[in-house]
Amino acid sequence: MQRWHVLLDGTSLPGRDEIGGKAWSLARMCQLGLPVPPAFVLPTRVCHAYAATGKTLPAQAIEALHAGIGYLEGQTGRTFGAGPRPLLLSVRSGAPVSMPGMMDTVLNLGMNDTVEGALGAEAADPGYACDTHARFITSYGRIVLKGDLDDAAGTPEQLRALAAEETGAVVPDDPWEQLAAAVAAVFASWQSARAKAYRRHCGISESLGTAVTVQAMAFGNLDDRSGTGVFFTRDPLTGAPEPYGEYLPRGQGEEVVSGERTPLPLNHLAAQLPEVHAQLLAAGRTLEADGRDVQDVEFTVEQGRLYLLQARTAKRSPKAAVQLAVALADDGVISEREAVGRVTADQVRGVLRPRLMDEDRAGATVIATGEPACPGTAAGLAVRDPDEAVERAERGEAVVFVATTTSPEDVHAMIAAAAVCTETGGSTSHAAVVCRGLGRPAVVGCGTGSVAALSGQQITVDGESGQVFAGALPLRTVATEDDEALRRLTRWAEAACPVTVVPPDGTSYVDLDALQVLEPAEVAAAVQGAQAARGSVLDSGAGIAAAVGAGLRIIVTEHPLPVLLAACAAEAGAGIRA
Amino acid sequence: MDMDASLLVLHGLAVRKSGTVEQIALVTGQDADLVRATLDEGIAAGEVLGARDVYMPTPAGRSRLDGAYATTYGRVRADERFRAAADRFESVNKKLLALLTSWQSVSRAGTNVPNDHSDPAYDAKILDELGELHERTEPLLETLAGQVPRYRAYLDRLAAAYDRALGGADDFVSGVRVDSYHTVWHELHEDLLRVLGRSREE
Repeated sequence: MQRWHVLLDGTSLPGRDEIGGKAWSLARMCQLGLPVPPAFVLPTRVCHAYAATGKTLPAQAIEALHAGIGYLEGQTGRTFGAGPRPLLLSVRSGAPVSMPGMMDTVLNLGMNDTVEGALGAEAADPGYACDTHARFITSYGRIVLKGDLDDAAGTPEQLRALAAEETGAVVPDDPWEQLAAAVAAVFASWQSARAKAYRRHCGISESLGTAVTVQAMAFGNLDDRSGTGVFFTRDPLTGAPEPYGEYLPRGQGEEVVSGERTPLPLNHLAAQLPEVHAQLLAAGRTLEADGRDVQDVEFTVEQGRLYLLQARTAKRSPKAAVQLAVALADDGVISEREAVGRVTADQVRGVLRPRLMDEDRAGATVIATGEPACPGTAAGLAVRDPDEAVERAERGEAVVFVATTTSPEDVHAMIAAAAVCTETGGSTSHAAVVCRGLGRPAVVGCGTGSVAALSGQQITVDGESGQVFAGALPLRTVATEDDEALRRLTRWAEAACPVTVVPPDGTSYVDLDALQVLEPAEVAAAVQGAQAARGSVLDSGAGIAAAVGAGLRIIVTEHPLPVLLAACAAEAGAGIRA
Repeated sequence: MDMDASLLVLHGLAVRKSGTVEQIALVTGQDADLVRATLDEGIAAGEVLGARDVYMPTPAGRSRLDGAYATTYGRVRADERFRAAADRFESVNKKLLALLTSWQSVSRAGTNVPNDHSDPAYDAKILDELGELHERTEPLLETLAGQVPRYRAYLDRLAAAYDRALGGADDFVSGVRVDSYHTVWHELHEDLLRVLGRSREE
């Protein structure tokens, strides 16, 4: 049966190819019995029909929109385009794989002057309704009409005029016209130059198409028992097993994401709406068990009622990746072998990077403070002349490049330096972008006069706290054996690994660096007949796979765990980038 | 009206600090053979240093260059449209740097950590916004190139960097050792500041 619309009502789980990745995740949440704002999808086949009919919405698609809206109205008790309780929508693209060029989400669709009046009366807050109207005009003007309205501000009327001036097209008053145009814009975005170029580059089939998800907006700013937030089932920074989250009372989702307002810790929700908080944590446990990993959940509370907007596997810091993999295995969510596969060699290298320990930091003198621009810590002689910084670095000295501002001329000094400090500029300056590109610890915006004050001294730059300390403080590495999670992960990785990885302890080995074997393709010939080998090429999955394939049994390295993980990943066929 | 070849080569060297014949040809939008010949003349005149195929301006070269901007670009500096486009470039510059920051680091529980590029949806959105920003920059650069035609070379280099990035070469967004979008943009910014005689804010 060919469907022109699919209701996300929990009765079935359509395929990602049919409804797109985001809608699939919503459908899965519905199936798990979790509260999701009602939604329906125009599946990818409508995208094909749109292209085939000369880029117009076929009559069946219009009918499908009416049927879908009827469902949303029934579910929410709201009316599209009219009061007393108006229904507003989000309209988003949903391809089976994400790609640049696809239309962004239009929020608050269905808004006009009449609806604004009704919403203002319902919320007893005309200002809020007017603000929502203005957001809609900006969102529609920017996304559907493709106008440059990033810096636009004003009343809805002014914004409408601005959008018309900028794009030569009008934001329609009629909610149905808005909806049809937004849906058509999603389908058109599948054919955008950028999306096509990306598909061509990445070998993604043109025949996939995109779906459109139409969802009822949950109102996080309707009253004091409303709000919005994000929630992690475990702490994504430290890996601690406690939930971590932020809550913005009387806020809409985009305000949390954009950082327009500062949210409160999640325990604020626990104090204010304990049942909602408990329900949220329970939903988190369900999602974590279903996804078998830590989840990142966006939610909105509307008049004391919880809605989940999105759930996905949580991104995490390197430290948390190690902690969480071990904790999930301990909790029985995943096996020890799976835990090994959840941590990358690069993440462990991040954890093992030398850093400033709290006891060393405690006694140190802060001589400058700025904005942290690139994490990491390094010490050296503060040098303000870029050529001198390069010369000293070439002689093997540790140098911190200190500059008032940085131009492209200074990039060679930033490459040579162990760390960078600047007087002016924030964490989004050219200097900050360059330092992050290089992975150089950096503190920027230390204030006028700091270059003169620092240069000539030994200093230590802490790119995490934004502090600069007097003297070259000791940087220490966490010993794998002193850290319980690292130690246990090492044992599990050893059990799973196709090779033995040992620290240099007298085992005789082939030194691949000395042989200048730096490419995985050259490894097999170099290790032929050898039992053990050592070399930087064996840091990468491809290098290890080549060595194992050639019969190598032992790899010698200072830090066994990253190599073990790379070897396990290579064996699992995942293959990781060098 | 632009500078003569000898000054233009010095300008290219100053924007990049140092460079090979090919790099200076790219930055200044000139033919490589002309650049090579001009660099040799610069060495003879004591305005350029060259070692192992990498060239740098000498203090004398730098000083003659710095003195030449005001006279060469006097008319450009007085041109309203050029100045307005340069002002607009400054505001787009802020957006670009914010966008590149989002590409390089992500917020985890309130702390910024390096983006490990494990989230294709996140990266795709930033590449999309970069494409959007690039399209908005094109008319600006066309306006600038109306006065200083060699600026068209930046447009081509930016487009090439974006194309590489879109093709999955992550390093071409903000990598330092390649002609990434940021590398080219940073040079363009420096070039513009020199032409206008403005100083860098950060």
